[in-house]
Amino acid sequence: MGFADHYPALIVVVLFIAAFLSPLLFRWVEKAAAPFLIAALGSALYMTVILLVEVQKSGPVLYHMGGWPPPWGIEFRVDPLRVFMLLIVISVSLWIFIYAVRDLKHELKKEVTGWYYTLYALLVGSMAGIALTNDLFNLFVLMEICAISACAIISIKEERECLEASFKYLILSAMGTGCFLLGVAMLYMATGYLNYSFLQLELAETLTLYPRNIFAAAALFIVAFGTKAALFPLHVWLPDAHASAPSPSSAMLSGLVIKIYAFALFLIFYQVFPRELLDLIPLNEIILWLASLGVMFGSIYAMLQTDLKKMLAYSSIGQIGYIFMGIGFDHNLALIGGFYHIMVHAVTKALLFMTAGIIIYSTGVRQIKDLAGIGRVLPLTMLAFTIGSASMIGIPGTGGLISKWYLSLSALEIGRPFFVLIILASSLLNAIYYMPIVINAFMHQEDFKTETKPVPRFMLGTLVAGMLFIVLAGIFSKPVVTLLEQGVASLF
Amino acid sequence: MDLLSGIINNYYYMVAIILFVIGMYTMLTHANMIKKVIAMNIMDTSVFLLFVAIGYTYGGQPPIIKEGSEAIYVNPLPGALILTGIVVAVSVTAYALSLIVKIYRYYGTCDYDEICEIRSQE
Repeated sequence: MGFADHYPALIVVVLFIAAFLSPLLFRWVEKAAAPFLIAALGSALYMTVILLVEVQKSGPVLYHMGGWPPPWGIEFRVDPLRVFMLLIVISVSLWIFIYAVRDLKHELKKEVTGWYYTLYALLVGSMAGIALTNDLFNLFVLMEICAISACAIISIKEERECLEASFKYLILSAMGTGCFLLGVAMLYMATGYLNYSFLQLELAETLTLYPRNIFAAAALFIVAFGTKAALFPLHVWLPDAHASAPSPSSAMLSGLVIKIYAFALFLIFYQVFPRELLDLIPLNEIILWLASLGVMFGSIYAMLQTDLKKMLAYSSIGQIGYIFMGIGFDHNLALIGGFYHIMVHAVTKALLFMTAGIIIYSTGVRQIKDLAGIGRVLPLTMLAFTIGSASMIGIPGTGGLISKWYLSLSALEIGRPFFVLIILASSLLNAIYYMPIVINAFMHQEDFKTETKPVPRFMLGTLVAGMLFIVLAGIFSKPVVTLLEQGVASLF
Repeated sequence: MDLLSGIINNYYYMVAIILFVIGMYTMLTHANMIKKVIAMNIMDTSVFLLFVAIGYTYGGQPPIIKEGSEAIYVNPLPGALILTGIVVAVSVTAYALSLIVKIYRYYGTCDYDEICEIRSQE
């Protein structure tokens, strides 16, 4: 076995080692800590790209931890969809981190910055693990690492709202993992396996023997991942948590963390549950209706907000609905749309939270009504906000259109035009709360009154990268869609 | 009748499920944060109990293989998994309690309703 064969495990290991070294480096050689973590994320990105090329060339790669084959050992699996998710996780978190290095200087106390790097690397490493693992119990452990570090990057700010929000998040996410573990116990009871591929084969046979166990497990998984990914009626923790956190954390939580759980639910639906189960009970239908409700209500709640970051947080509840819709339609075009939306929304929402962070950094303003006329003071920042809003609404030329287009196409293909109406209506609702901010920022008669600090060029550079990506994703969608088609084709 | 006899024969599974529901209910409805954390532990423990019960075989030996012995062994895998699960539960508990300490310093109370009252008065 060559060195390159170990890349699936090394991606996770490199990040976890970086997590433990960065606070030490921060204490000894303060300047080196951030570049060190950037290098770790960069090497993970390099390995992901190599894996992507390999998967494209010669099909799925299986990696056995410690050389133990499944069902005894833990298995990592790299197929086109997982490597796509991995690429999003690593590259978006690298991008957010470059922004975070400057932004954290004014949001956190200096002595905890090193620990923030630890939490950040743990979070990225555990998300990469969730995307790769092929074992249910390993998934549980990685989910708990992800949950603790996600709560901790909120509470590290040590303000009252952050502590409360993070406690609420922790309790609800502990409920989620409790349900998940009970579901795993149910499946283990019925089959005796924890490996995804073995479970799928075995469940097809045991479905007639122990239907109650397997139905209960399915229900528990929907509750568990629904809570963690903020699917509509289980979203109550999200607005406080995402709005009170430091801006880089908000970008990370809204951009990636909720999506990795949606992806994990997708894996369980299509790589653990056999086709017979999905045909027997309407799991996809439940997800579809909850997602549709989420898309509408998330936007309606967002309209009522007066705080900029709270509005963005509620908007995430609506947008995660589109991703769940992709699972709900149970159709290959819808899955392509859902995955495309994971990518586009990860970048867009992170970009919007970054602009919110820059506005707070430069002017200290958080209320939406105080933003009038800000476009003339911070033109580039508000341009980024405009492009992000356009992508949220789905205006042609931005990535948001492509995902909605594929979702609508599949709704028509399976003969349910009602859901096209829902997608259209929710786009209109998005326009209702995003557009006034943009118009007010640029067209307001009076000048912006609050004093402004100059924004570091570094932060503006990351915004430009995000804007470019959103526009490119809207124009050149072909390569990504081809990759997704290749990945989805094996599921149906 | 079939269902009922199934429940009676597997009462230990039922105990775990009842504990799980008690834990979840307390966690979501009680205002006291310490009680929430205790309930979280009850919930986790119930799942561990269920896992260990799955692995047990009636009259089984500890899984140490002796040459030539025909004994039935207890399944060791659930036990190994639960050790990991306990570690995870401990770390979540420690983190939750440390958050409560910090919140207590701001408000002087661990009760969520009282905190809401204090915030609404400001």
